[in-house]
Amino acid sequence: MAKTYDYLFKLLLIGDSGVGKTCVLFRFSEDAFNTSFISTIGIDFKIRTIELDGKKIKLQIWDTAGQERFRTITTAYYRGAMGIMLVYDITNEKSFENIKNWIRNIEENASADVEKMLLGNKCELSEKRQVSRERGEALAIEYGIKFMETSAKASINVEEAFYTLARDIKAKTEKKLKEASNPPKGGHQLKPAEPQRKPTNWLSRCSLL
Amino acid sequence: MASANDLPSTCDVIVVGTGMTESILAAAASRVGKQVLHIDGNDYYGGLWASFNLDNLNKWVKDCENPENFASDPDDPNSDVKINNGEEFVFLQNQTSHISNIEVKWHIPKKLTETQVEQWSRKSQTSQEEKESSESDESKSPTEEHTLSRKHTNSESEKMPSVGFTRNGNWTQEDLMRDYRRFNIDLAPKLLFARGSLVELLISSNIARYTEFHAVTRVLTWLDGELNAVPCSRADVFATRHVSVVEKRMLMKLLTGCMDSDNLVQEFQGFESKTFLEYLKSKRLTAHLLHYVLYAIAMGTDTTPCMEGVERTQRFLNSLGRYGNTPFLWPMYGTGELPQAFCRLCAVFGGTYCLQHPAKALVVANERCVGVVSCGQRLMAEHVVMGIAQAPTQYLDGQQPSGISRGVFITNKSIMPSEKEPLTFLQFPPGPSHPNPVTVIEVGPSTHACPQGLFMVHMTCKQSKSAKEDLQEIASFLLTQEDVSPSDYDISTDNRSTQTSGQDPHHHHSEGASGSGDEAATVRTKPQVLWSMYFNCLETSKNSYSPNAPENVHLCSGPDLELDFEFSVQQAERLFKKMYPDLEFLPRAPDPEEIVIEGDTPEVVDEDGNSFEFDEEVQQPSS
Repeated sequence: MAKTYDYLFKLLLIGDSGVGKTCVLFRFSEDAFNTSFISTIGIDFKIRTIELDGKKIKLQIWDTAGQERFRTITTAYYRGAMGIMLVYDITNEKSFENIKNWIRNIEENASADVEKMLLGNKCELSEKRQVSRERGEALAIEYGIKFMETSAKASINVEEAFYTLARDIKAKTEKKLKEASNPPKGGHQLKPAEPQRKPTNWLSRCSLL
Repeated sequence: MASANDLPSTCDVIVVGTGMTESILAAAASRVGKQVLHIDGNDYYGGLWASFNLDNLNKWVKDCENPENFASDPDDPNSDVKINNGEEFVFLQNQTSHISNIEVKWHIPKKLTETQVEQWSRKSQTSQEEKESSESDESKSPTEEHTLSRKHTNSESEKMPSVGFTRNGNWTQEDLMRDYRRFNIDLAPKLLFARGSLVELLISSNIARYTEFHAVTRVLTWLDGELNAVPCSRADVFATRHVSVVEKRMLMKLLTGCMDSDNLVQEFQGFESKTFLEYLKSKRLTAHLLHYVLYAIAMGTDTTPCMEGVERTQRFLNSLGRYGNTPFLWPMYGTGELPQAFCRLCAVFGGTYCLQHPAKALVVANERCVGVVSCGQRLMAEHVVMGIAQAPTQYLDGQQPSGISRGVFITNKSIMPSEKEPLTFLQFPPGPSHPNPVTVIEVGPSTHACPQGLFMVHMTCKQSKSAKEDLQEIASFLLTQEDVSPSDYDISTDNRSTQTSGQDPHHHHSEGASGSGDEAATVRTKPQVLWSMYFNCLETSKNSYSPNAPENVHLCSGPDLELDFEFSVQQAERLFKKMYPDLEFLPRAPDPEEIVIEGDTPEVVDEDGNSFEFDEEVQQPSS
């Protein structure tokens, strides 16, 4: 099967429960908003292929599956992630304060060079705002990452945020590919229809010996 | 973070402990729509199956040495949890009681000498920026890595893949601790047969999407006092010098016989009650071949019954040719990832997870378990699944469990360097000093077991004395262990530095020679042990519940001695069938693209146009 994209990026959504991670994910992947999604089970990640500078980029965006609730995200969740959206809710002070804890968690478990971005979600709820835009910006500067306020509900900046993150990862990846003569190679996933290798096992050798 | 009091107070299944069998069961129950609450007293997943970075491993060791501060329940259950009429609390055990004889030791100095520090600070200044970018290239090809390390001895300004390279193999404790996050040290390392039940289950359940594997690159054996590669593929057979053409024919005939199911009865007539060794001898195999087949392929001993030897040989051969040069796979980031993969599926299907949440007691009424007491809360469920390590003693059958001896060694190079980074399986045959075979698995940096420039050697065998007594001789065959006493840090470091650099060119030379196919088994210096750990763990796969335990409490064994996860998979499936006889065990989970949200139009699924081909290697840009 011909490949329909040039790059595949694994992205994660991290942040407290209820900040709207799943809604951000659905806004971006399906351009839809529906609070009933929250209870939808069986959603692991969503895929959307975007185009940047003529390259097709397949974004595989993973949701936490509710494991953030008691801060019990598996270390396996972070494996191989190339970009992380740190999401807080501008109407929830606590979710903003917890961003620092999440960053510590990321430092402990994710690859050291993972690209990060801070999102203040639910920015349409200005009358309930608890976290000012300036504080979000300041925190992002402190960690040297980019920042945007988004609204999954009103469809503000969600598209832009993912494009920004993807662009930064793409730049980093291409720089790395240029530098390394041998591009780094990861492990292999097991596939249902693993193509049978040319029989190289003992028995096939009968005729040769 | 939600308060732990938000835990669902009733559900279908409470799973206590995140070991392998427990996690598979949690996933299976959640997958068929059961409400699962999965708790663990530890702040990490996996229990006795976990993989740790170096820092967390040290914490684990401390906790094992001081069990009183391990996973203790802050609340006294008697104080605020009500016991209803007719109920009793049956208290659970502390799981560290399954670990004993822990011995952790550094074999390298803590710090550098002053002159070395000076050199280091000069280097680190020039390399600080480069370090950042190179850190990401965690899986640089090993060939390249060697080039870099060699260049380094000539020029200080070269880039380095990892800090340790600056001192040309002269590692310190500080180096390793600085990179502590890059270690994944397995408590229970296991390999997967390419056609074993865990691989099949991962594929059929679609949980494979959470895991990545490396194929084991070679099978070694210990023969006549040295390491030998066991030929597994056609290329190996042609390359090996150890097997003559006549022997190759003999071997083929024998193995074909083992695989020929039609004539199995005829072939093994008369050997049903004999050993596999007797059968092999009857085939007049040469000593070399007999060794390969009995110890490496069948992984047996002199007393392995004939038909068991045949079965084991079949298992090895059946798994050849699927994923790589050998029948085995090793999970990236260690075996501790595997229980987590099942936990993830459980969570995706609605399971609730809570770590640092020890279960204190079972609530039992009328010989049925009605729930669990945890952190001052009553959590009620139809079924309770728990690891044997925590099961109340009165529920066990009283049989004394046997033990596993484990050794873990961080070394400065492979036990048998090769052109590409090796991933080695070695079944050390029993000998006069060690009555049981010893399973040796060596993993390198590309599996994320350790930083660049290092290797990790795992040894596992049936316990007869303490782990150290059981394993130290084999360790000394393969590795060099130096003791560093605090007084001679500086001197010994300097000595080693001249020694190491003096041997380096030679070392590289022998590696070059190995490129021709047969691994250089001749001139070789043994790897140096930088850090070692021994411990014993109870082997509970033969233990079971006593008949007077409540029938809705289900017990999961801890790590077993077998190489693969066969036992855990079968146990999980058996327990699941006992709990839910009419439901399917881990049916395939749909890919995200296949899920149509209610109320949405079906086009959603097709929107990205390539929904059918999520199959490629995750994580890497494909060019």
